[in-house]
Amino acid sequence: MAAPSAFDVVVIGGGITGAGVARDLSLRGLSVLLLEKGDWGAGTSGSSSWMIHGGLRYLEFDWDTTRLSNQDSGHIVSIARNFVTRIVFIVPVLQGDRNNIEEVETALEVYDRYQPLKHSHSHRRLTPEEALAIEPGLTPDLVGAMTLEEWGVDPHRLVFANVQDAVAHGARALNHTRVTELIRDAGKVIGVRYRTADGATTEARARAVVNATGPWSPEVGAMAGVKIELRPAKGIHIVYPHRISNFSISTESVDGRDLLMVAHAGFTLLGTTDDDFYGDLDSVDVVEDEVDYLLQGFERVFPSIRDYRPVRTTAGVRPTLFKWRKYEDELSRRYEVVDHAAQGADGFVSIVGGKLSMYRLMAEETSDAVCRKLAHQAECTTARTPLPGNEAEPAPVAELASRCGVPALAVVKLQSRHGSNAEKVLDEGGTSRILCRCEPVTEGELVFAARHEQVRSLADAFRRVGVAAGPCAGAACILRAAEVVGHELGWSASQRFDAAREFVRGAWLGRAPVLGHAGWAQEELAQGSMRGLTVRNGSR
Amino acid sequence: MGRADSLVKLAWAYGIHLTRRRFSRRRSQLADLLETYAPDGIRPLDAATRERHPRLVTCINCGLCALAAGRVGRTRLPDLAASYMRLYPRVAAASSDLEGDDPDLAAAAAICPVGVPLEEVAAVVRRMTTR
Repeated sequence: MAAPSAFDVVVIGGGITGAGVARDLSLRGLSVLLLEKGDWGAGTSGSSSWMIHGGLRYLEFDWDTTRLSNQDSGHIVSIARNFVTRIVFIVPVLQGDRNNIEEVETALEVYDRYQPLKHSHSHRRLTPEEALAIEPGLTPDLVGAMTLEEWGVDPHRLVFANVQDAVAHGARALNHTRVTELIRDAGKVIGVRYRTADGATTEARARAVVNATGPWSPEVGAMAGVKIELRPAKGIHIVYPHRISNFSISTESVDGRDLLMVAHAGFTLLGTTDDDFYGDLDSVDVVEDEVDYLLQGFERVFPSIRDYRPVRTTAGVRPTLFKWRKYEDELSRRYEVVDHAAQGADGFVSIVGGKLSMYRLMAEETSDAVCRKLAHQAECTTARTPLPGNEAEPAPVAELASRCGVPALAVVKLQSRHGSNAEKVLDEGGTSRILCRCEPVTEGELVFAARHEQVRSLADAFRRVGVAAGPCAGAACILRAAEVVGHELGWSASQRFDAAREFVRGAWLGRAPVLGHAGWAQEELAQGSMRGLTVRNGSR
Repeated sequence: MGRADSLVKLAWAYGIHLTRRRFSRRRSQLADLLETYAPDGIRPLDAATRERHPRLVTCINCGLCALAAGRVGRTRLPDLAASYMRLYPRVAAASSDLEGDDPDLAAAAAICPVGVPLEEVAAVVRRMTTR
């Protein structure tokens, strides 16, 4: 076992909340160790709807959550201005909908009061003809429509930017590192024992340990001998590798739940489901019924949805606070900071519940609680300190493309991930060759990610730079990606081969539930191009 | 309590909304909507493009089109057809990619295994990048 190290705080969990807490505490001058058992943002954060939103539907349950959510969304949009894009929803209203058009507009009028908090515009009301003019794919059976504005963000990049900033302020951050035990002494949690990616077991002592592991919180809480009760809820999305419309669409499912088709930069997310989950959190599968449930909901307002070819699905589990006798959809998205001292685990703090759009506030309140315990006085600055890559406007696209010899389109995508640091990434990567044509991604960006962004597998590369995220789903680029990452990380030829095979196998699990007619044709092509990877292993 | 309080407040807002609707003049908000979001590249597809759209985005990025157009590795249209069709909001920023290009799109389309109408895609992309 390696020699133990000492920190003020150990944060367990590298989703958006844990990364946010690590950043907040580091900015306040505390020494922090952040540990994540998988990759940054690979759990609940990455399988969200990729939105910073104010929570329109919470108006039915709790206006204060809507206010707080809008307020914190505004802070996030300000500190991550180069990473966010506007998302404009059309809310079509049909005869027989749960809410009539006047009720829908009433809710939006109330919501408009909070919209300025997140730098968004007020709603607009459209006649059926006007709605069809801006989105001709809508069903003609409209009573009318409203618009609603929210923000889109790549949660993987948002999480990593928080990790980056924490590290820039002195934190140590390790992904693929699993906490195996909490070290306890006379009713106090005094550190953690963890296993790193290379299999070494190490100890870290700390004055406080934060449990920010989302749906895994009860598991980590049990290590400290405390009970944490959640009501985990599974949500899936269908991913289309392109925009279906420039406008996003909100509608309702057969059982009256809200569904969203979200137009992000270069792809569309269609979701989500919300079902109580009792299974293995590390293996959340999508079943075809869930896919059909979503398509059925959208077909009603957007009849051509089945003409589009999805490329994969995502599945995640929300760490919803426990409540008995409520439907999943009615459960609060509020959060709680729990100091477990009263339960005999002094020095152990959990942050449970919540959502991406309020992560900064959740991190602030958790950090406040930790600072109180440690008698450390420092104010929170995360609401006004830009995340890395958001300190300035990005360079003009055409100029950068011409100077670095890459397509302007590649620069546009690069800037969406690195903001004002895009030039640095292009300069250091050393090659302008395009690796992934779909996104497109340059080899240089992947080199940079392997050197500086803790990419340890091809799935990490997918999350960090979007390699294999497009229509080919990796068929055209994953072998070359294995070469590039393998070269940087010193992988042998067989390790590169294994890495590509592992990626193909993982991607297949997410793709299988949405393979329709065209999907199977594409799958044949993809599998054919990687025959050596799949047939040899018999993984199909 | 929170739920009941929220519903009462919504009911009150509903009453105000209905009263206001009854006495206010209605004007179209469409032009205002389009103007508001144009700087963000959020523009509607026209009806003809909408109808053809599912065909325009079926590219699986096999790369055969680039081979047929004699442009392997040059990473412009049609090589990146799928990419240009994916990225509506900021695609105008990439208009410099299309300058001075005249690839053999007919040859490229002829070899496409999934039948992407590349000439049509190119026309749509050019329209998107120039407006």
